[in-house]
Formats: sequence, structure tokens, C-alpha cells
Amino acid sequence: MTETRTETREETQKETRQTPVRRPRGPRRKYALLDLAAPVLAVLFAMAVASVALLVIGKNPLAVYGTMFAFSFGRLDSVAAILYKATPLIFSGLAVAVGFRAKLFNIGVEGQYLIGAFCASWVGFAVKGLPAAVHLPLVVLAGALGGALWALVPIWLKVKRGVHEVISTIMLNHTAFLLLHYLIADVFMDKTQVIVGGAGSPRVRMPLMEPTALMPKLHGLADLIGVELPSHSSLNWMLVFGILLAAGLWYLVWRTPFGVELRAVGHSPDAAEAAGINPSAVYFKTFLMSGAIAGLVGLSDLIGHFGYLDIDFPRGYGFTGIAVALVARNNSLGIILAALLFGFLSRGGLGIQVLEKVPMETYVILQGLIILTIVVFWEVIRRYVRARQKREEASADAQC
Amino acid sequence: MTNTTPVLQLQGITKRFPGVVANDRVTFDVGAGEIHAVVGENGAGKSTLMKIVTGLYPPDEGRIVFKGRPVAFRSPGQAIAAGIGIVHQHFMLVDAFTVAENVILGAEPARLGVIDPKTSVRQVSELCDRFGLKVDPSARVEDISVGEQQRVEILKVLYRGAEVIILDEPTAVLVPQEVEELFEHLMALKGQGKTVIFISHKLDEVLRVADVITVLRQGRVVGTVPAAEVTRERLAEMMVGRPVLFDLKRGPAAPGGVVLSVEGLTSVNGGRAVLDDLSLEVRAGEIYGLAGVEGNGQTELAEAVMGLRAVTAGRVTLLGEDVTNLSTGEVRRRRVAYIPEDRHRRGLVLPMTVWENVILGVHRSPEFSRGGRLLFRSILSSTEEAVRRFDVRLASVLAPAQTLSGGNQQKLILAREFRGDPGFILASQPTRGLDIGATEFVRQELLNARDRGAAVLLISADLEEVLSISDRIGVIYNGHIQAEFGRDEADPRTLGAYMTGARTARREGGSAAS
Repeated sequence: MTETRTETREETQKETRQTPVRRPRGPRRKYALLDLAAPVLAVLFAMAVASVALLVIGKNPLAVYGTMFAFSFGRLDSVAAILYKATPLIFSGLAVAVGFRAKLFNIGVEGQYLIGAFCASWVGFAVKGLPAAVHLPLVVLAGALGGALWALVPIWLKVKRGVHEVISTIMLNHTAFLLLHYLIADVFMDKTQVIVGGAGSPRVRMPLMEPTALMPKLHGLADLIGVELPSHSSLNWMLVFGILLAAGLWYLVWRTPFGVELRAVGHSPDAAEAAGINPSAVYFKTFLMSGAIAGLVGLSDLIGHFGYLDIDFPRGYGFTGIAVALVARNNSLGIILAALLFGFLSRGGLGIQVLEKVPMETYVILQGLIILTIVVFWEVIRRYVRARQKREEASADAQC
Repeated sequence: MTNTTPVLQLQGITKRFPGVVANDRVTFDVGAGEIHAVVGENGAGKSTLMKIVTGLYPPDEGRIVFKGRPVAFRSPGQAIAAGIGIVHQHFMLVDAFTVAENVILGAEPARLGVIDPKTSVRQVSELCDRFGLKVDPSARVEDISVGEQQRVEILKVLYRGAEVIILDEPTAVLVPQEVEELFEHLMALKGQGKTVIFISHKLDEVLRVADVITVLRQGRVVGTVPAAEVTRERLAEMMVGRPVLFDLKRGPAAPGGVVLSVEGLTSVNGGRAVLDDLSLEVRAGEIYGLAGVEGNGQTELAEAVMGLRAVTAGRVTLLGEDVTNLSTGEVRRRRVAYIPEDRHRRGLVLPMTVWENVILGVHRSPEFSRGGRLLFRSILSSTEEAVRRFDVRLASVLAPAQTLSGGNQQKLILAREFRGDPGFILASQPTRGLDIGATEFVRQELLNARDRGAAVLLISADLEEVLSISDRIGVIYNGHIQAEFGRDEADPRTLGAYMTGARTARREGGSAAS
């Protein structure tokens, strides 16, 4: 008997030597190609379904889609607009995704970015006399801290008292918006505004931020690679920051010990706990990180475009971020691509509205369909891959 | 021995699931009035076969001949109507109903749409008398023991007129005395002309009670043999496909100093003391086996020792240091290995890869990470070494742990927990659900660790396991250690008496019994 055992082991060793396990710098996932195929197929499928809606309103789908692509990619200002629209979505997608990895549903990105924008705005106008090299990072930091601060309450309630973060973050979204209104209109309202020609009323906004607090535009970088961005474009360095952050988060999740903890707690807090990891601590750190990233969502608009915070500050990035993370399956690269996709849909939607007289709602339909089909397609592929892997392991088991 | 005409014939039954052939041309006859055991390891296809016989799955190929006529049941209802009934491993009873109500449920004797309780109680007690099944028809199911609940399940199929009764792993949930009673009942059923199909992987039981044994391996019939003409070793070899070592290697007992000391441990959950003044000691170089019916505090004891459950009173000491209510991470830092009872929930993060599971918990050690960065070269070589040492069969260490078989998953846990030579091992149900080969492997590893000087606390619902590898045995009942025995003093009947609470508190002379 003992002999049989030894023999089997020797065989296993021999086999391992013959076919050594690949040693990439980091273990890569198989079936990556399938992962890429799913969203492409899903977008095509969604466009086919949306064609029905276009036919119903008497439009030629091919012409509409043709215009959509031509308008979006045929003009430099459209490309710049897509990138600009994608910038906040990269941040909000990352904020949601990093939480999702630990099975934390941060529905509060919406509120966190408003608070983040307020903090950044305050540091931007109240702190004076600093060089841009100090002031600008301080403003960005203030945004992140503001977002983290607004995330602190829900995660503290969850870890200490078991309050589900979905409930508390949704409620805090409303609180954040109303608080912001109060702060802008009643506390920090810029009273020095000059009404030109005595007409109209002053904007409900905070004081203008210092020039040292504003984010430089990307025109200089574009010039370097020989692209002349239109002068009215607000595309700024937050885009580059967002892409770097995506890369950093990918590294954190897949290449660091904290990433192992994050994913272990996300998949199975019970097993992580039994292995000696403290799930509450992981939840806490992850959620604050998510909140800090959320605090940066509004900065592209705030310090790259407006230069002040008013009550009409763009809203909804937080919720779109949930869709971005969902479509990208929390993958960093996917989030950048999904944010670009959403940017394209919104720009293309504008194009077909103007040029093809197709209602703007078409793009909402298309966006909804794409989210739905991508999620479904991915689930189908996930199950297929799982079945394949199971079969491989079964045959490995039988061979040994 | 029976050589009667076959009542049930399986002819070339084949059932495929995606990627696996669960039953491959299974052919054998079950003689009328015999006790026919179907044995095989987990995944050998026993359960699938029985689901086909009772109409839960249609076979892909082959046919079933029942009493000389081909049949094709489309539901368990049709099967029982024809006379084939099954008692599942997990009972399907309504706790709040009485025994009689459960038995008639779905086949109520009714007049004008009104159930007649008197008739049902009378019918059920007649059945009990006829087959010698002792159970009170008017007792509520929630108030009766597990063994009695099983009798209710048997009554259910008898009530519906079953001639062939299939029992799926019936002894898994029973204590030794209840197993004895079950076997008496099976004999009584046979005496009344019923045919019994007994699904099991416990060879001793099968050899005692069966007339004929059919062995399945990887979906195929290895052979059908009369029980009188086969030995346990031969059966095991048929099941596994190679000779099996029943006598595990163990060095002489050399117990050293106390490693784990649990004193007066009490834990209250929802107003109920799940651990009640529990004390025990485990020494270096010994295996302390904790026997008991499940749900008597074993889970809670393991969790309390590992820092996964708050302790209300008492002390847990590890190598002289008080670790009561410390976090799991802090307990583990003291060279502690923990094999959780539920490997899917607590043992592994199933969607994560093999290598991630192997380093989980030690992922921050300098060997595996430096400067906040995982060291893949070291991780992968260490994982491959561990996987090789513990004979985990896998296609790739990059695959998710959930793609491994149960036995390989458990070996993976051992590979993680036994690295770095643990001084204390808490093994909770370490062989549950494993096949013979993997079970043998795990037990031998526990013995090897003991021989190297580790203190092992083995918590197991499998009495045979506790008896075969422990140096000392404690019996837990209602969250309290009722009795302790040396390796040679313990026998199944005595342990069983303490396990069911029929006898209490041997050690402290009854003062702590409650």
C-alpha cells in the first residue's frame, strides 16, 4: 500500500516537471479573450434591440447609428467631449468597484462626491497665497477627505451596529444634497458678485476659487503628441489622474496583501475570519477608500471647468458610477472603457438629436439596454468558464 | 443468502451530466426480500442511481424492470405508487405535526374531504406493530429523537405500500444504539417480505446487515457479491480501486506538557448556554478525540478556542498564555492550525485561486510579501511544494478552489494549515464527506503531526474516527464534557450512552451534571 502511494506521488512530481506551471509575474486569468468578447457582443445586441425602438419612431437605425459614430469620432471636439464626460465616471466607477470587491455596496458615492466637491471648493477659495504646487494637491486632498468623511458614518454604523450600508448611504445622499444647498446658499454664498447692467440676479454659488487651485487643461500634453485640442474643451489632468488611479487600484487589489484580504472578505467573510483576517477592519478601510475616491468624482468639473461650486453643480455621477462598475465587473481597465462608452453614448446622443432629430431619450434606452445585456452576457460566460475549469480539474484528478 | 427472483432489475442505466458520466451502464438485480447494499465512495454515482430509480431523473440510456415489467417513473410519486419508496438522508418532516400526521401527509384517509384523525392514528400504530417500529403516533416530530424521526420516514413509505424501500446513508445521523435498532428494523422488514436497498459507504455496517452488496466506482458497477463471501478489505479495494490501509501508522504515545487548556468555558447564545462549564486539556503528542452527537456544543467550542466566538466565562490557555477572547489572528500567531468543520464556509474562499487560499492568513508574512507587495515567485513555489506534499490533485494552482473535489479541497486546507509545523491542531470534522482514500490520508496526517509532538484536538461526529486515532476520548453532551476515557477504556456502547445523555458526568461525579 505504502508503495502505491509513493509511486503515485512520484508520478505527480514527474508530471509537474514535464508541464511546469506557467510563472507569469503575477498569476493571470485564463479565458481573457472571452471576457473581452462579452461586452462587444452585448453592445451589438443592445444596438440591434434599440433598432426596434428607432424603427417604431420611423427612423432608419443604420442612418442613426452611422451619424452617431460619425459625429462622435469624426470631430476632435467630440473626442475631447467624450473624454471629458468619461473623467468623473472613471472616478465614480472606481469608487463603487473597490467597495464591490469587498461586497460593500457604496450607493453613497453621489453624496460623497458632493461633500468632496464642497471641501475642495472651500480650500480652493478660503486658502490664499499658496503656490499652485501646494494649493492644488491640497484641494484634491480636501476633496478626498470630504468624501471619506461622508463615508465614515455609514461604515461605522455597519461595523459597530450592523446597519446595512445601502440604507444609510441612500439616506445620506439626500442629506448631502440638502446640506450642500444650505452651505452654498446660506453660509458661503458669494455676496461680492457684480450684476452686469443691473439685470438678472446673482448666481447661487460659493466664491470663485483661487487660480492656484485650478487643474491645468490637457492642451499642453495633447500638443506634445501633435493633437491640437479645441480651445473650448475643458479636458484636464483629472483624466490622467483617473487612469493612474485605476492602475493603482488594480495593483492594490491583485498584487498586494491588502488586496488578498479585500477579496477574501468580499467572497467569504467567514473564511477570511477563520484564517485570521479581521473582516470589520477590512470593511472599514475599504469603505473609507471608496469614499475618498468618490470625493474626487466632482473635481474634474469643479477645478477643471467651473472654478466655483454652485447649486447647479452636475449631479448623478454617483449613480452612473454604479452602472459603470457593474458593466466593467469591477475591473479597472473595464471601468475606463465603460466610462468612455458612457461618454460616447451621451455625446453620440447629442449628435443624433441635433442631426437626425432623434429624441435624446434614445440614448437612455440604449444605455439601459447595454447595461442589461452586458450583465447577462457576462453571467452566461462566467458559468461557461466555471464549467470548463471544473472539467479540467476533474480530468486532472482522474489522471493522477 | 437469498437467491430469489429479482424484484428490481437495473439494465444498462447511463446518466450523463455536463462533463461527467454519473452512471455508466449500471446493471444489477435486486432479489425480492433481500437487503441489498449499494456501496461506493462519494461521487461514485449512488445517489444519482437512486434518483433515477425513484423517478427524480430520467436515465439517458438503459431501463428499469420492476416485478418483471419495464417501468419509467416520471416522479417519486409514481415510483411510490408502484411500490418503490425512498428514505432520504435528510428527513422531510413537518416538525410541528404529529408522527401520524406526518405519515399520512399527502395520502390522508379522508371521508367527504375531512381527515379522520382517529383512523390515521390507528392505521399508523398498526403499521408500527406490524414492523416492530417503536414510535408514538401522537407525539410531535419536534419532540422525538433523530432515530425515531427516521422511523417516521420509514413508516411514510410503508404506509404508501412500498415493497422496495431505499435508505440513503441512513446511519449517518444515528448514534451507535440507534444504528443497532435500525438494523433490527431492517431485519423485521425483510422478515415481512419487503426488499431493502441500503446505500452506504460504511463497510462494517454493510457487511453486518446486507445479504448482497453491489459496489460502484466512478459510475460503474465493479461487482455484485454476496456479503458472506467478501471481506472488508476486499470491499474497500473494490470501492477505491487499490488496496486500502486500515491500520494507520502511529508511534508510541508520548504525551508531553499541556498545550491547550480549557477551563470552565461557558458561552451563552440567545439565553441558552451552548457551552456549559466545559473543561478539557490536550497535551503535546496526543490526540484528544471529542465525541458527541452534533449540536451539543462542538461547533461553539471550536469557535471559542479559535477566537471566533465570545466566551461568557471561563478560560482558554494555549502554551501557558491566556488567549480567551483574543482575535483569531492573535490565536493563530501561536502556531495553531485550524481545520474548520465547514470547509466551504470557513475553510476556503472558494472563488479564489488555489495559491490565494494557501497563503490566506499568512499572506503578510515576510516570505510572501514585502513592502506591501506580494512575492509571486515565492508564493507559487511554496504553493506548488505544499500541493505536492499533500497530494492535492489539480490542473493548475491558478484555478479557483471551488473547481477541486471535496477531498482535494480538504487536502488544500491541510496544506495551508500544516505548514510551519503547528504546535496545536484543532481539527473539526476533518474527514466529513471525504472518500476512503482522502479520509485515510487526513487521519494519517493527524497521526504524523501527533508523532511530531503536536497537540491535536479532534472533534468528530464519526465515532469510528474518534476511536481509531485518539489517545484520549471525551464525550460532549449539552455543552459539557460528560466523560473522559483512555484509548483502551472506550467502547462504542459506553460512548453512545454518554453521547445521548443516557449517562452523565462520569468525571466529576455528577456534581456538574445538569
